[in-house]
Amino acid sequence: MATQTESPTDDANRSPLQAWTHGVITDQEKQDRLYKALFYVAAVFFLVTTLFPFYWLLVLALTPNSSILAGDWSLPVIGLEFPHPQGFNVVAFVEVFQQVPFHLYVFNSFVLAVTTTIIVIAIASLAGYVFGRLEFPGRGPLLLGILVISYFPPAAFLIPLFDAFLGNAVVIPFLGIEVFEPPRLVNTPGAMIMPFSALFLPLSIFILMTFYGQIPDGLEDAARVEGTTRLGALVRVIIPLSAPGVATAAVLTFIAVYNEYFFSEIMALENVPQNWSPLVGGILSYQTQYTTDFNLMAAASIVGVLPMLILVVVAQEKIVSGLTAGALKE
Amino acid sequence: MARVTLEHVTKQYEDVTAVDDMNLEIEDGEFVCLVGPSGCGKSTTMETIAGLTKPTDGTISIGELDVTKLPPKDRGVAMVFQNIALFPHMDVYDNISFGLRLRDYDTDEIDRRVERATEIVQLDGMLDRMPDEMSGGQRQRVAIARAIVRNPDVFLMDEPLANLDAKLRVHMRTELQRLHKELDTTIIYVTHDQAEAMTMSDRIAVINAGELQQIDPPLVCYNEPSNLFVAGFIGSPSMNFVEGELVDNGLQTGSFHIEFDTSSLVGVSVGDPVTLGIRPEDVYLVDRGRDIAAPTKPIPVETDVLEPMGNEVFVYLRVGDSGGRSMAEAEERGATSGPTGQLLMSLDSDTEIMEDQAVEVVLDRTNLHLFDADSGQALVHGIETLGRSGLGEGTTQTGAETDT
Repeated sequence: MATQTESPTDDANRSPLQAWTHGVITDQEKQDRLYKALFYVAAVFFLVTTLFPFYWLLVLALTPNSSILAGDWSLPVIGLEFPHPQGFNVVAFVEVFQQVPFHLYVFNSFVLAVTTTIIVIAIASLAGYVFGRLEFPGRGPLLLGILVISYFPPAAFLIPLFDAFLGNAVVIPFLGIEVFEPPRLVNTPGAMIMPFSALFLPLSIFILMTFYGQIPDGLEDAARVEGTTRLGALVRVIIPLSAPGVATAAVLTFIAVYNEYFFSEIMALENVPQNWSPLVGGILSYQTQYTTDFNLMAAASIVGVLPMLILVVVAQEKIVSGLTAGALKE
Repeated sequence: MARVTLEHVTKQYEDVTAVDDMNLEIEDGEFVCLVGPSGCGKSTTMETIAGLTKPTDGTISIGELDVTKLPPKDRGVAMVFQNIALFPHMDVYDNISFGLRLRDYDTDEIDRRVERATEIVQLDGMLDRMPDEMSGGQRQRVAIARAIVRNPDVFLMDEPLANLDAKLRVHMRTELQRLHKELDTTIIYVTHDQAEAMTMSDRIAVINAGELQQIDPPLVCYNEPSNLFVAGFIGSPSMNFVEGELVDNGLQTGSFHIEFDTSSLVGVSVGDPVTLGIRPEDVYLVDRGRDIAAPTKPIPVETDVLEPMGNEVFVYLRVGDSGGRSMAEAEERGATSGPTGQLLMSLDSDTEIMEDQAVEVVLDRTNLHLFDADSGQALVHGIETLGRSGLGEGTTQTGAETDT
């Protein structure tokens, strides 16, 4: 820090850029200012990139479909092209439910997501407890197996699963031996919940394993001496103390299933709510062969996002602490 | 209330034997301390009693019931942990009543019991606090209240005071004794602090390397240790050990001779290596030694380092000039005893003594211990009777020998 007390003549020899970088390096105040400026730039960038799509949705929802199709977005007086609502067509949000039973699609997605989340958290809790707190032979290979399977692309499972869920007998390849004949599951929630649970389990297992592994042994021992079984200790002590982790795993699973389209669209043979077609299917059903109601699709998207928004706002604190930290004092 | 019996309990981890063929009988209402150095298996023993660890072999009974295969919840035990282990997400009331709520007691009964338990540990008015709002001592009291509220048959305490500061530890020590008097429950207490063990327990079980060394009342462990390990472990500062060899008329160490009738010793014969043990307070300066009934002949020593403790002074003595050699020998054998060329003596603080001063000391024959150096087992505690019966004459005779 000896350079801090340099003579002003040194400064004169430098180009403006050199002088500025030198100032930032040596002067704490300038450094802080730079960091602050960089922080705001980054924050604004992220805010714009994440919030602009929502703004765009809102604009589309409020603009009558005819204006959207006309495609003229120039601002009134200035004439500059900028996305802005042309009109205030709030009726679109009502029309959404009139044209298509959109609430049923939302309900489908919601039920699928809740059921999958419950199944995933229940199974991942048991697995996380075992992997995080017990030492047993084969622990390493099993964990590795879960990790490896979680990297398989979901599409790889699609065709055999679809084949099986149609009710065709499961046959061992090449040998032609029939293993069993599954029930016809397409168009039922079972055909979606089972693959979802399997796909999202590994992530939850890893999250919960880390959290459960951090709970001090003494607490579990204390619970067991006080009168719980191992399972009781898991439910009464370990899970409550790992609440941020459980919330994280649950919310991640819920969001992923709620937004899911690939599997559910294929497992629901027609895009109707009676076949458990999900939210995204509902949004797409505003599109017919000849017309596309962009304003309704946008309005439906906003309606569909609302439950997520509420969930995230409610669980935000726990998710953030769950994703970032997790250490627990005894 | 129940007695606890361990029969041939063994716990093996992959290549380590944590507990080796442990046999313990703990009476109803008894306060037993398991003591031993770190890693000696005392906590594992405790965990096998609690049911948190399954023994590889052996049986454990509480009362009349064989509990070896029962889960912890069905054993009627309560435990206080070293790290206190209160549930951080529950307030004091919920922590204390945790076990009761699991057992479907009705609310009135739970309230009454919690109230009584908090009275016993003096925690009134803190029921709605969270554990992280309390001090270490208060948390420990909550943990004790949680343990007593269920009226367990057996109390297990795994170093409950280890994480408290020194002053609080002494305070909680007396509280625990009061508690034991009040509840009259069987208490098994694990500690590595022998002061705790000496002051609180009815009997001490000294454990080393997974094996039970001795189980006896504290003073018996102190005065009649059954082997070298117990002798060295119980008592602070620990007992002096001097390596020697059994000769015709007594014990010959590297630098001095103590005479007694060797024929009455069982299991050793002349020529066998024997370790002499003497506590620092049984080493006297010659002029003060006249008061004791059966002194040995004087041993010329040189003072080394003084450690004034206030009420007493610990004096390190160099014995003879063979100190270095004996020390090397002791290390070769892997003996756990201190350097054999050195003696520790405790004196009144008003004794006038300087460092590097040549003095003569005598040992109190009543409190001399002889151990078989190979097996470590105690041969005899106090040799004054041996000396009198056999070699009344020899005292002066050999005394003259060493004096020259």
